Amino acid sequence: MNLELTDEQRALRDAVRGFLAEKASIEGHVRPLLADPTGVTDAVWRGLADLDTTGLLVPPEYDGAGMTMVEAGIVAEELGAALYPGPWVSSAVAAPRALTRLGVDGDAAELFGGIADGSTIATVGPLTGRLPVAVGQGESALLRGEMRGVPDAAAADIVLVFSEDGDDTGLFAVDTTSAGIMATPERGIDQTRRQFRVTLDGAPARRLADASPEAVRALTDDVLVATAADALGAARAVMKSAIEYAKVRRQFGQPIGSFQAVQHLCADMYETVELARSGVIHALWAADAANPAEKHLAAVRTKAFAGRLATVGDTAIQVFGGIGYTWEHDAHLYLKRLLGWNTFLGGPDRYLEEVGARLARSLLREKHTRGFA
Amino acid sequence: MELRGWLAANLTDDIVAVARRRRSDDAVFERLRGWNRAMADAGWAAVSWPQQYGGRGATVLEQLVYAEETTRARAPLPINVIGMNNIAPAIMQYGTEFQKRTLLPRMMRADDIWCQGMSEPEAGSDLAALRTRAVRDGDHFVVNGQKIWTSLGHHAHWCQLYVRTDPEAPKHKGISCLIVDMSLPGIEARPLVTLNGDADFAEVFFNDVRVPADALLGPQDGGWQVATTTLSHERAAAARLYVEMRARLEDLVADFARAEVDARPVLDDPAVLLRLGEIAVRIKYLEVLCQRSVSATMHGGDAFGSASLAKTVWGEVGQDLGALAFDVLGPGCGGRWADLRLTSRSLTIAGGTTQINKNITAQRVLGLPRR
Repeated sequence: MNLELTDEQRALRDAVRGFLAEKASIEGHVRPLLADPTGVTDAVWRGLADLDTTGLLVPPEYDGAGMTMVEAGIVAEELGAALYPGPWVSSAVAAPRALTRLGVDGDAAELFGGIADGSTIATVGPLTGRLPVAVGQGESALLRGEMRGVPDAAAADIVLVFSEDGDDTGLFAVDTTSAGIMATPERGIDQTRRQFRVTLDGAPARRLADASPEAVRALTDDVLVATAADALGAARAVMKSAIEYAKVRRQFGQPIGSFQAVQHLCADMYETVELARSGVIHALWAADAANPAEKHLAAVRTKAFAGRLATVGDTAIQVFGGIGYTWEHDAHLYLKRLLGWNTFLGGPDRYLEEVGARLARSLLREKHTRGFA
Repeated sequence: MELRGWLAANLTDDIVAVARRRRSDDAVFERLRGWNRAMADAGWAAVSWPQQYGGRGATVLEQLVYAEETTRARAPLPINVIGMNNIAPAIMQYGTEFQKRTLLPRMMRADDIWCQGMSEPEAGSDLAALRTRAVRDGDHFVVNGQKIWTSLGHHAHWCQLYVRTDPEAPKHKGISCLIVDMSLPGIEARPLVTLNGDADFAEVFFNDVRVPADALLGPQDGGWQVATTTLSHERAAAARLYVEMRARLEDLVADFARAEVDARPVLDDPAVLLRLGEIAVRIKYLEVLCQRSVSATMHGGDAFGSASLAKTVWGEVGQDLGALAFDVLGPGCGGRWADLRLTSRSLTIAGGTTQINKNITAQRVLGLPRR
């Protein structure tokens, strides 16, 4: 049993961390883009592509790095810690995993290539809610309908759309420059992430693959787990920042971090962050290595824990005190990143209930097969 | 697999049931002592001990497998588990050959019951403030004082006793460790009845007890380092905390599956499933936390203060589990869950309170300053 990072994984983490600190700081990159609908600049996106992070999950036969969700999680954690506002989870995780989970091949090579080298930004919708409807036969179709909560649609060149297609569900590619597609920003709590209502009014689309419910669920789990890693990074960063502040901020003639009441707030944050890290480590591993049921449960757990993880943002602001309540301070950006994860694809309660229901079912089944239920 | 076969052949339903009864009943205590002996004779009582002392020299990972298997079978812990896990390592490290040869085999078979005399009325979380005095008089120490929260104290034949031998020295530097025969004149152990009416602990009084000087374990006034050996072994045991908690959760779900409230199956209630899920997530994450800790130990990774963290999580989740069980089942199921609702209070007190654990995390792991 070895849960330590390999030397290669460490190098990847350090490279991404170093790049973001230098080229995508909160002051120099994140804040200037808060009101920007795309959240991305060419220079930083190119830098992330040059570090091979956009092609991490693209199979090697399509010029990608062919790595696993474990490596994607390492990158996502660093991006979350830096509050990176661009479309990385959409384009580097959701899109390539949609293509691989659905077994897209042949013509898809072109899409994979652009995603891998960063020249194409892609996103995926909708993972929940009503699907648009495809009209037309064969490889070309027109899509009609409205999708809610599509991430990064303004930055994307391509939207991969799950659509009703007769009695089936299919995955279609829509070029965002084509007529008949329109993206309107949705109000969210987290200004470092963008979601859109995307209206398809006869948008021309290319059919890529059949979408089985199992494959869509597996993809959704991948997106959840990558976003969980991002949230872990955000929680870790704001916790560390609050702890450092507690060491230097003095009141009553001593650092506030010497007071037990403050120490226990910090220990509580640490406990929550390390529990979340345990969940993320397990779910990232399970995404590519476990059976479908265990993989799904691992992803559901990370969402179920999202409410608790968000308390790290709340507690950090408490440690900062008044300064943490200001717009100027970065703590609120972290809290919002965590709150965005908290409600992403539904609040934690239904996921908690699902974990409970699955536990009950699995134990009862086990007892039955053992014969002493 | 060898262990699984042995358990299948030797662990009767009767023994599993006995472990759920109160140990204040002498017959229950003797049955559990017999189970300890059966495990020892088959080599399954102290797998972490080196082979020369009758153990199996099990690695941390093997110990984890052992914990998983014995817990899966619902095998009671050996009654002398505190002695074997917490006292024996100190005897192996600091004891004389004679002490090792005479004491350890009888400990393993529960021929002798062992207790640890650590906490005192005025030395709880602040263990090093202990006051029980031992004064050298020729070839004896004369011991006076009182211990409390002594598990098995009223059954014990031997006590690993921490005493103050140098009252002038700084508090950590004047403590010694003695191996004390509990039948010596002047020792009185009174069962300490706890909030649920059981008596697992004792108060032990020492009144001019003359203990032979060769009972000293480790250097005179070097008792704190002996205690730290003991406590660090207790922390190694933290790696298995999730196993027991997971078993408890499984038992609770099994009881839920048979229970109805207002003619509705309990497990159809979304509110119950939600709370169950909340506990199940944390128990799974505790498991991974424990595995990360083992991995860090084995592969030279960062141990991130995982032992005190695991202990804190374990206590909190155990109390939440007790609360859920009692809220739903009340005093049903033979009172098992009502009992847990009460006894789970100890999870955040015994073996270091949650507050002390948080201090340790804050100061030693996060680097926050002491006052």
